Amino acid sequence: MKTSFQILLCLALCFIGRYRAAAADSAGVYVEQVLYPQQAGARSLAIGRLAVLQEPSVLPFLEAISSSNLYLLDGKAVTLGSRKSESEDVFTIYELYPSHRLLLDGHGQPVLLAASGLKPVEISRIDRLQLGAAAGWLNIFNADAQKRILAYTQLESASDTTLIGVLSIALKSETNADAYRAGRETWLALRLNHPADPPEARALIDSLSANDGDNTTAILRAYAKNGGLQRDVGLYARQKADEMDSQYAWLQRLQNLFSGLSLGSILILISLGLAIVYGLAGIINMAHGEFLMIGAYATYSVQLFFNNVLHVRDSDWFYLTALPLSFIVAGLAGLLLERLVIRRLYAKPLESLLATWGVSLILIQTARSLFGDLTAVKLPGLLAGGWQVTTHLVLPYSRIFIIVLTAGVVLSIYWLLFRTRLGMQIRAVTQNRNMSACLGINTRRVDAITFFIGSGLAGLAGCAMTLIGNVVPDMGQTYIVDSFLVVVTGGVGKLLGTIAAGLGIGVFSKVLEAFFEAVYGKVLILLFIMIFLQFKPRGLFPDKGRIAED
Amino acid sequence: MSIKPEKEGSGKSGWINLVFILFFAVVLPVGNRLGLFSINTISLWGRYFCFAIAALGIDLIWGYTGILSMCQAFFFCLGGYGMGMYLLLKATAQQGLALPDFMTWNSMTALPAFWHPFHHFIPAFLLSLLVPAFVAFVIGFFIFRSRIKGVYMAIITQALALAMYLLFLRNETKLGGTNGLTNFRSLLGFDLSASSVKIGLYGVSLCMLCLAYIACDKIVHSKFGKILQAIRDSESRVGYTAYRVLHYKLTVFVIAAFLGGLAGMLYVPQTGIITPGRMDVTASVEMLMWVALGGRGKLKGAIIGALLVNCLYSVCTSVFPEGWLFILGLLYVLTVLYFDKGFLGLFATLGRKLKFGAGAGAGRGA
Repeated sequence: MKTSFQILLCLALCFIGRYRAAAADSAGVYVEQVLYPQQAGARSLAIGRLAVLQEPSVLPFLEAISSSNLYLLDGKAVTLGSRKSESEDVFTIYELYPSHRLLLDGHGQPVLLAASGLKPVEISRIDRLQLGAAAGWLNIFNADAQKRILAYTQLESASDTTLIGVLSIALKSETNADAYRAGRETWLALRLNHPADPPEARALIDSLSANDGDNTTAILRAYAKNGGLQRDVGLYARQKADEMDSQYAWLQRLQNLFSGLSLGSILILISLGLAIVYGLAGIINMAHGEFLMIGAYATYSVQLFFNNVLHVRDSDWFYLTALPLSFIVAGLAGLLLERLVIRRLYAKPLESLLATWGVSLILIQTARSLFGDLTAVKLPGLLAGGWQVTTHLVLPYSRIFIIVLTAGVVLSIYWLLFRTRLGMQIRAVTQNRNMSACLGINTRRVDAITFFIGSGLAGLAGCAMTLIGNVVPDMGQTYIVDSFLVVVTGGVGKLLGTIAAGLGIGVFSKVLEAFFEAVYGKVLILLFIMIFLQFKPRGLFPDKGRIAED
Repeated sequence: MSIKPEKEGSGKSGWINLVFILFFAVVLPVGNRLGLFSINTISLWGRYFCFAIAALGIDLIWGYTGILSMCQAFFFCLGGYGMGMYLLLKATAQQGLALPDFMTWNSMTALPAFWHPFHHFIPAFLLSLLVPAFVAFVIGFFIFRSRIKGVYMAIITQALALAMYLLFLRNETKLGGTNGLTNFRSLLGFDLSASSVKIGLYGVSLCMLCLAYIACDKIVHSKFGKILQAIRDSESRVGYTAYRVLHYKLTVFVIAAFLGGLAGMLYVPQTGIITPGRMDVTASVEMLMWVALGGRGKLKGAIIGALLVNCLYSVCTSVFPEGWLFILGLLYVLTVLYFDKGFLGLFATLGRKLKFGAGAGAGRGA
């Protein structure tokens, strides 16, 4: 008896709603019914009615139902917005009905509340299913910006013009810039398919290209292909798309240049150590790449230590600790290698090449048995994301950091070599070992310090590498041949040459990669280097005078 | 290093050669007939002989001329790919297919032009030998012309090996990409899986090794060989005495590549596969290691080193696979640090010490 009465009541309400003509009012009644159902079946019925009505102002409320993100706060329907931080369970709060807005406190700051402090409104799955087909695009009201962007993008292929109104409402309360751009793109694209007259179509095309969304050129080309409203409007759309494409190509070139700079920076970090050590001791250190690997694993170990021993997660301190530590650990490993093996091989480059190759095999296998085949270091929060120069040119902070780090390292090495007493001694031993020893320089000590610095630089490069790649046992081998090429091109033992060649080869390979496959880029670079060495067999900046003689 | 007149082929070393040949030419095949050695062992040694031939090439260029070339494995593979292409075309024809499998998978419709000469044995055979030699000529010409030497030479050739390795990994090279060439069936009508054919190939490899050794021995003891050693000891002085260093270096580089190609060509029918993995940077450095370990600057050293390291590799990888790289790495370090002259040098030193010890003992007894 009771149930049939409820149904009657609801039907009555429905009728009243219809005849009141103002659907918004009845929507309010249904929202009340969903939040505070008087009887057991009333909530189902109310959701069903709301799904049919699709009254714009109630759509955010429906989305909260669809994504099970509906809460009560002071008797009002609210939904959880974005999380304040990853570790804390605190969210911003959106009011859902009658207006969709972010809740602010007395000082104009967003209200932050813990999810546990809110009363969730449990909606059964069956009830949620009533939202049916609408559930897909309801996501444009989702609290998660990524989901909104996805929903906006999916709507682009829709032909239902009624959605234009819905989109306008969603865009009014849109707070995220990327989502706004995606939503506006969809909104303009839908309107472009049904414009009133050619001038309006042109205006819409202009707005689309000014909006500069991710799919704009595709939309414009599709529009042009379908003929457009008139022939010249279609042509106009194609012309706009072409303009945008050429602009993107330029941005892509800039991006490649930037990647090249960062690759070059890493090559410089590795090759600097190689160049100094070769210049000083006449050693070709094939195990130099493994110091890079040691630096990377030092970073990884520091991260493990912070996570498992100190129980500090989500902190960037581990990386700041790892940065000097990777330098020291790799440097000490270099010192050990110098003592055990390399000391006996001074001025025998070819022999040292074979012996250090053996050392690198041992180190790689050791790393493999200690750490396994694949590990990775979490990107520090500070370096996540990138610097958005324009909407389509994003320079990752991690790569910027690597470039800055390299610049700092290069400057300090220059200062060390040319402004300190130790640097003068290193240069003296590099020029003439015996004479330096005669003049009272402790060449053994100079050798040890130089080896420490050279290996440490590779370790630092390894620490930097963890930002842009995985940590694997043979990661050093990937870069060692390239960095040897840098050393050769720059002139063995020449710092300025090493820097110039590192940047040159880095930028060159990335730019070539834009045109060819990476492999052909590599082959081409080798070819260029061989041709270059035909004219400058001693590298970019050869020694002059007596030092140059064999 | 100074030039020392070496007298080889005298009584003692002649005996060693004879024992070596007798053991491999008679004992192993007969042992196989008697069931002492499996056919796989025989085939394995056949492959080691191929490595030894390639090592002879390295010894000529590194041990005698002092040029550290780090792309011998690339020349080895060039020869190997030449033979592999011929074998694969024959196998494809036997199956009644128009194109090798990997080409069908890569949706190619016609055989690439450079594959056509490999339909017949004679051109395939000649190309497998001449292509490595020609490539070496071109590369060597540009490297030696600009007086790249020592470390520069090592690094440039290593980079070359890496670049070629990466190139051969690509499918666009039309040589099978990562998987290389495999599924061979027969060579000149002989079934490659038959054990008699395997013994035959083993014999051919042994003969080739002996021939290569004799040829290298001739080269080393000729005037040409003396100049090579002079270049090793002081390149500039050789130049001052009006020898064209470029010509000598180029010639020996081409000979080394030729030997590499020959070795690769013999190697492929015995293993039944050739992949770019055979020519990566490590492969070339390993070949250098054979020579260093055996004793560089001695032809026998190259052969002994190649056979020994590969033998050790087979044993170690089956006994403790994880440890092989440790052992190999240690071998590199210890050889360079302590046995600069390799095993042959070690034996010579030991022999001298024994003689000296015996003499001293006799002296004390008297």
